Amino acid sequence: MKYTFVFNPDLCSSCSSCVIGCMDQNDFDPESGDLPFRKTFQNEIELADGSHYSAYISAACMHCVDAPCIDACPVGCLSKDPETGFTVYDNTNCIGCKSCAMACPFGAPRYRKSDGKMVKCDGCNERVKAGLKPACVKACSFGALQCVPEEEFLAEGSAKACNVLIDQLGLRRK
Amino acid sequence: MTDLEKKIVAKIPGEDTGIEVKRSLCAICSPGHHCGVDCYVKDGEIIRVEGTEEHPYNHGKLCTKGSALRNYVYRKDRLKTPMLRVGERGEGKFKEISWDEAYQIIAEKLGKVKETYGANSVAFLSGYCKWYRPILHRFCHVFGSVNFGTDDCTCSASKVIADKVTAGCGAGPDMAHANTFLGWNYEGYYSSHLSVAGVQKLKARGGKVIIIDIRETPASKNYADLFLHINPGTDGALALGMGKLIIDNGWADMEYVEKYTYGFEQYKALCDAYPLSKVSEITGLKEEEIYEAAKLYATNGPACTNYSASALVHHINGFNAHRAIVCLSALTGNFDRAGGNVPNPPTYLHKPAGFKTREHEFRSNRYPGTARRIGAEKFPLWEAQFDETQSMELLNQLETGRPYPIKAIFALGMNAKMYPETDHLLKAMSENLDFFCLTDMFDTMTAKYADLVLPACSSVERGELKAYQGGYLTFTKPVIKPLYESRSDVDILCDLARIMDLDDELLKSGYEKCCDWMIEGCGLTVADLKKSDLPVKVPIAKWPAVPGKILENGFKTKTGKFEFYSTAIADIDPSFGLDPLPVYYDSLRDQNDPETKENYPFYLCTGARLAHAVHSRTHEVPWLRSLRPDPTCEVNGEDADRLGLKDGDTVELYSPVGAIRVKCQLTWKIKPGTILMLHGYDEANVNNLIPRNHLDPYSGYPGFKGMRCNIRKVERK
Repeated sequence: MKYTFVFNPDLCSSCSSCVIGCMDQNDFDPESGDLPFRKTFQNEIELADGSHYSAYISAACMHCVDAPCIDACPVGCLSKDPETGFTVYDNTNCIGCKSCAMACPFGAPRYRKSDGKMVKCDGCNERVKAGLKPACVKACSFGALQCVPEEEFLAEGSAKACNVLIDQLGLRRK
Repeated sequence: MTDLEKKIVAKIPGEDTGIEVKRSLCAICSPGHHCGVDCYVKDGEIIRVEGTEEHPYNHGKLCTKGSALRNYVYRKDRLKTPMLRVGERGEGKFKEISWDEAYQIIAEKLGKVKETYGANSVAFLSGYCKWYRPILHRFCHVFGSVNFGTDDCTCSASKVIADKVTAGCGAGPDMAHANTFLGWNYEGYYSSHLSVAGVQKLKARGGKVIIIDIRETPASKNYADLFLHINPGTDGALALGMGKLIIDNGWADMEYVEKYTYGFEQYKALCDAYPLSKVSEITGLKEEEIYEAAKLYATNGPACTNYSASALVHHINGFNAHRAIVCLSALTGNFDRAGGNVPNPPTYLHKPAGFKTREHEFRSNRYPGTARRIGAEKFPLWEAQFDETQSMELLNQLETGRPYPIKAIFALGMNAKMYPETDHLLKAMSENLDFFCLTDMFDTMTAKYADLVLPACSSVERGELKAYQGGYLTFTKPVIKPLYESRSDVDILCDLARIMDLDDELLKSGYEKCCDWMIEGCGLTVADLKKSDLPVKVPIAKWPAVPGKILENGFKTKTGKFEFYSTAIADIDPSFGLDPLPVYYDSLRDQNDPETKENYPFYLCTGARLAHAVHSRTHEVPWLRSLRPDPTCEVNGEDADRLGLKDGDTVELYSPVGAIRVKCQLTWKIKPGTILMLHGYDEANVNNLIPRNHLDPYSGYPGFKGMRCNIRKVERK
């Protein structure tokens, strides 16, 4: 079964439980200087009338259907897991060229200083295969971050969900 | 990688991976919560933590802090062994000693102070968390001292007392049956994550939400139909103004008022002094928004109100502000009514669970009563209503030795950073104590001042009794062995009771026997509870609380009614100037002389909750610290422009008594003139800015959330 991450900014408070859940799952060490796979943002955006809009956002790899990082990798580290649809990787052959990060519109892949290789969110692929939720989704108390079967996502009208995030990030061509 | 290796890396529980899921609870934040956790354990070590789906309280959910439980448990600064001070107090030089040696030293030193000065010269103090408190409380009394004190002297108890002297008890919002939710200081997401679902459900069924706060929050953004962005410290005036609107417009439930309340005429006269224009000026709110909020709350009932434990009562006018808000509940007939606020007394350690335990008896039936507790002379209402020290007087009593000297402190989790003028307190402790013993999990700032330090273990390394909403009780089991040589707080206390040969067979019989004594009659024993990994439904528990019982049987006040005019306060010596009515006065009234006003024009509000922090407990948890690495104050963008401050600038925050250096973050979520600063940092302890006498005269609570300060940019050299 393929899965889709769904983020609803109207339920998010940038509490960062998702980030901590990810850190726990991936044994994140802040002292390493590396960045976690997931990040939250609290942006106060000035509106035309001078007031401010508070945007609460959680972001990581979007597991794009047509993921540009896969094509960008010169040594074929990245691929789609045929079962879950997540963008997964095996960085054994990674040369640390950062092409994947540059190709990603979200800058999701991270360069890990300790071994000079790229790493990224794999959607907690093994957890999902074992019937568990991705760590970030499991940690979200408010239903802002979810991981739903593709059919369910499509049935619910896929126009919403991820696109809202893209709007929030101002990525849509005006 | 093989499939099995992949599963091990991904921490998938199972026999093949050797990863076992064991259950416990997270005790990082307030005991009002303490969510159930699944600890993934491999080779005796926790490798992952998540919320327990089957847990009747949190249903699998965990907050930001709880999600970091593993990182909290394995903090590098965990205390490892008992340690005896070898350097100067505060220097942090210790030598390791054995538990037996430590116990002998404690017995000897406490015994000596008792012999020389009397048992009351030993104060038994507690910080977070609270699970061991019944044992420590009883220990203190059996030892012979009246001076048991906790963080209740600055947290929640002010609200509890205000409720008691007004309505005889507190009452929680009945969200499930309300049409309107008055979210006074309600933020939810960062301090009470499980409460958000209740607001979501209310909104989904067409309910209305009013949020009153000094800052915009996710709650005000996501749920407020009306958001009242109020001037800090003026909530009491708003509540009285709303009272006037409700009375004048005929929205009050006069049948309820006549039948169930006392002192309405005096209360009405008080409200009359707060016409809309005046309230608008004080609160900084538009007249229309105040009117709309009062109307919605009073006419779209049933309406329930959020009463936060500390947001309001951390102003020196906060006790009365809370009373004034509670009064609105009676005025509109929402107190003890379905969909309003329904009393639900705590069963055990602040948790309501629909049955009674003998916790209070266990704590208090050995009270020696040989002197008045610390703070009693200055805060008579506190002394009359609460059976702990008001430790905001500890510093003065240490320094002056009056009314009697405090010569030893035996503390569990004591955190000097909780006290205003922290550095002065630590100095006074260094200079005046004969003995200071501290039990803690971590090598804290306060631990460096102790003569003897004992290592405690965390919630996942021990067993503990815990009640939960819904009529549940549990006794947890350790999921890992105590780290290093650490021990459970209650085992330390019961060991000491035996070694010191205290006159109490109960304490000497150990924690589990004490628990059995407290829960006797509920139909379950500790042995029964231990058979389950999950909380067990208590046979005699009645849940949910049924509204209307107090209306039927009478309020637990002297008049048997809801008291707009508090007879319990009227009983206090008038020379203390405590008003039986919830009068409003300025939250900076002791700092409003022209000179102080000019030199310290900003309103400092400390400790407004952020998701990753609770007091100082998580500042040294690396994952949580990484979310905001630097101590940071939040400054309104307009103020910042005026002062030439930019995001990330280093600034100095200062008051007449102290200064700290922090980073600056611009925000438009607070009004100009307000500065927010999170408390609890060693290197930037904002409580050093708060003078020891900036206290609410009713409760003794410090004005943590309402204090004059100033800010200046620190130029890089």
